[in-house]
Amino acid sequence: MTRYSRRRALITGTAVGGAAIGLMLSIPAIGFVISPLFQARRNSWVRVTTLESVPLETPTPFTVSVPIDQGPPGEPVDRVVYVVRRRSGRVYVLSNTCSHMQCNVHWDPKLGASGQFLCPCHGGLYDITGLNVGGPPPSPLPPWRHRISTLPDGSRLLEIENQYAENV
Amino acid sequence: MAVLRFLARPLSRRLRSGYGWVDERAGTTSMLHKGLYEAVPKRGGWAYALGSATLALILLQLFTGIFLLLDYVPSFNQAFDSLHYLETSDRFGSWVRGMHLWGAYVLILVIGLHMLRTFLSASYKRPRELNWVSGAVLFFLTLGLAITGAMLPMDNAGYWTAVVVTNIPHYIPFIGDGIRSLWRGSDFVGPVTLTRTFGIHIWVLPFLLFALIGGHLMLLRRHGEFGSWVNYQTDTDDPEREITERILKAEPPYPTKRTGRRWAAPRDTVDFFPDQIFKDIVISVVLIAVIFVMGYIAGAPLDERADPATLTYVPTPEWFYLPLDQMLLLYPSNYLILVGGLGLVGIGATLLTLLPFLDRSHARAPLRRPEVIIPGLLLALAVVMLAVLGANRLFNL
Amino acid sequence: MSHALAADAVPQSVLGNSLWVAIIASVHIQIATFLTGASTLTVVSESIAMLREGHDQRHGRLAHGLLRSMVYTFSFDAAIPIFWVLFVFLGLWGTFFIALTRITFWVFIFEAALFLAEVILLYTLYGSWDRLTAYRRARLGLLVLLNLVLFWQMFFIDVVASYMLTPNGGDRSQLAQILNPTDLPLTVHRLIGNIAWAGAVTAAFAAVRYLRAVRRAPEDAPFYDWVVQWGVLFAIGFTILQPWVGYSYAKEVQLHAYGAWYTMMFGELSNVFLLQITLLGLIFILATLYLLRRLRASGASGVRSLRLALGLEIVATLLAAMPSRFAWTEGDVTARHLDRPFWQGGLENPIGTMIPNKIIALLALMAAGVWALTVYLKALSRDQLHWGEATRRSARGVIALAVVVSMMMATMGVIREHSRRPYLIYGEMTIEGQHVVDHAQPSPGATQR
Repeated sequence: MTRYSRRRALITGTAVGGAAIGLMLSIPAIGFVISPLFQARRNSWVRVTTLESVPLETPTPFTVSVPIDQGPPGEPVDRVVYVVRRRSGRVYVLSNTCSHMQCNVHWDPKLGASGQFLCPCHGGLYDITGLNVGGPPPSPLPPWRHRISTLPDGSRLLEIENQYAENV
Repeated sequence: MAVLRFLARPLSRRLRSGYGWVDERAGTTSMLHKGLYEAVPKRGGWAYALGSATLALILLQLFTGIFLLLDYVPSFNQAFDSLHYLETSDRFGSWVRGMHLWGAYVLILVIGLHMLRTFLSASYKRPRELNWVSGAVLFFLTLGLAITGAMLPMDNAGYWTAVVVTNIPHYIPFIGDGIRSLWRGSDFVGPVTLTRTFGIHIWVLPFLLFALIGGHLMLLRRHGEFGSWVNYQTDTDDPEREITERILKAEPPYPTKRTGRRWAAPRDTVDFFPDQIFKDIVISVVLIAVIFVMGYIAGAPLDERADPATLTYVPTPEWFYLPLDQMLLLYPSNYLILVGGLGLVGIGATLLTLLPFLDRSHARAPLRRPEVIIPGLLLALAVVMLAVLGANRLFNL
Repeated sequence: MSHALAADAVPQSVLGNSLWVAIIASVHIQIATFLTGASTLTVVSESIAMLREGHDQRHGRLAHGLLRSMVYTFSFDAAIPIFWVLFVFLGLWGTFFIALTRITFWVFIFEAALFLAEVILLYTLYGSWDRLTAYRRARLGLLVLLNLVLFWQMFFIDVVASYMLTPNGGDRSQLAQILNPTDLPLTVHRLIGNIAWAGAVTAAFAAVRYLRAVRRAPEDAPFYDWVVQWGVLFAIGFTILQPWVGYSYAKEVQLHAYGAWYTMMFGELSNVFLLQITLLGLIFILATLYLLRRLRASGASGVRSLRLALGLEIVATLLAAMPSRFAWTEGDVTARHLDRPFWQGGLENPIGTMIPNKIIALLALMAAGVWALTVYLKALSRDQLHWGEATRRSARGVIALAVVVSMMMATMGVIREHSRRPYLIYGEMTIEGQHVVDHAQPSPGATQR
């Protein structure tokens, strides 16, 4: 009887010790892994172009060096900003990230009636406003967060923040 | 003094007594006997060699991988430069890298054939269910290694592979965005993405892989190679007596416990050493020679430095992901991508892994179990078909 | 609007010409595709017959029967391509044919060479089938060779057929023309479809013989009963894969011949496409119905599962065949400014949209097909089926299945050939005057939504 309970105690002790080690290892490990989810973003505004230099009704790509907003600080990364100026005066500032698998979308004037954005990966199609009109993309092209301000010389300056206006 | 006496003897005697000294302490001979003298079914040995070829190729990957590790810098800004140096300034460096890539290609092909052989011969049935399950998981781990390896060069191909692949979890409801952020270390592919993928490629997945390979081999040794139903046919008019005799004179690891009497021991067996191991080495030599040559001639491609702002680069998947890529093309809208792109593939992978628990009939001959063979072959046909269609689509972009 | 233009401007005589082509093409395609598929079935049966020598005489008998049927249909069909080239193409469509020959010269040379090889192989096998029984492996080798010849024949004619729809800009290398965007999709589509079609024809022919054998020669009934199910298994098994291939094919047309794709999905042919989807659903339904009746006739297990699969297939077919608008074409809807859901007084039917409803329906159809097949095969492998017990109704259903498959193939041909109107070679050569256009761009009527 005494042997039996001693044995029980040893087994319980081993299990408790193992659980304690597991707990001590997993708390920092899990915290380490998920910490990027709670990092503060480093937002900043970047100049793209003046609107006057963008032709009407023609999606025009600009390559902009965008600071990384998360993770360890690093050099800015080049990203594409498609600026679309409609005749109606509306301005669309679209990223070229496909909402399907995030491949690099480009404007193809030969597609559709008067041109469409084409994603070469899986043939996703978007119209001139970035609306998904064909193929697998589930949602429109994500627009950049942007602002337009008037410069002293009267031209209008377009700037983007290093973040999309919606989650893709 | 003992050392001097040892040195005074002739060389052959010195070697023999030196081995005897080690053997006495380490038990080498009995270990070798245990490992080498085991019964293997006589017929079909060339097909079983696919399994050992898989092992040989995985070891080759480990070997070439270690050498790549000596040059490669896992940093977002320097990874490309380090590999560019390796490709342009070091003939043997590009050769080793070529062998690592072609090793992966051949490995995936051989694992596929190994699985197909096991599937057709129904080797996964009781008591070898766990051999199949561990093998299926090993296959998925290998695919994971292949895709994480493809991201590491941080050329255009690697960068865009990273973008597309790390984006896939995002379609999982609720936790998907979180998984993507964890893998990328940010909303976009960046420095942390590379470091994490590198860690997964050289530590996490290989660790799991080698642990499971140990289990897989242990199970193989426990139950023995099943082979094919042909090895268990009976020739005489009294099959019961024939099977009884076969079981009586069976060598380890046969007769296998917990299986139907008919499948307990094969008709004729040979020793693993040297009969089977010769076939194994022939197949491995041929495959590694292909890798050796292709690694030098074709090498491994290195694109331009990664350009996140490119408008002309077309991201293309590696050939073994073409079927999955073509499936992505077919599913529009959020929840269809979830259900079709992830759900169906997940269900397919689960069914594949759990095959031994789905096909529980006693039949082993392919023609006697069409309800498994025909859907399986249709699935294989669908995979090949989707790969052809995917390759065609990319060729015509 | 391009399609309206095509209907108005094409003179009567040219329409007459295309009718000729259509009739002859249909007959030729139905026979040639049967030959291609049947050669595969022959190889399969002959291989199984050799593996199971002494156990199973049925596969050997079936292989011989299939080969004989191939010879009979081939002798009838062989005249058609010759007549086609000499009379229809050179006589009625000269400019087009000469232009096409210039582009695909080598393709036609290969085609002719393969035709010769096919004649030699087929008649050698037919004439010396019994003598070659002593050299069975050699005979199987010849059958495999015949199968390969027929495959490459199909491949090279697919080059022409696909080139006419997606000509790849016209100025690229010969390889790019051969591997144009829809060549491999069409080849895979046909490779699989031919086997299904040959299975359906074999099953239907066996069903006719079964119906006769039940009355007049009961000793043959078990064999024909078995052949019916063997053929149906191929018909349904390979059709299950078709929605995937077809969708990929249509996707390439969308990316490389947008106007044709628009006509097919939203324009005048969209209604023919609905008919095609209905026929596809009917293939699944009729095949499952046969499997169900066959299980029931032998009192085998799984009838309830098959009933569920059948129900799922009927629902999926109804959804897939539902029009997405209550007007002839999408253009009619936008012209009347009624592009809003019917519950808001418009003509659109959002329940019948391709994305995602019909895709779900197609997936359901495929899933039900796999399920039905598996349940049936399970009963088969447990020896629950006894040959010669099939009901007469199930045999008649199989004949209907073959008719539906045949109609389906004709419908698909019509869609492929008409979607590129008014072009003969998409974007390059029109029907009217058969002259070469300098790389016109696709001109869809409205943006796709």
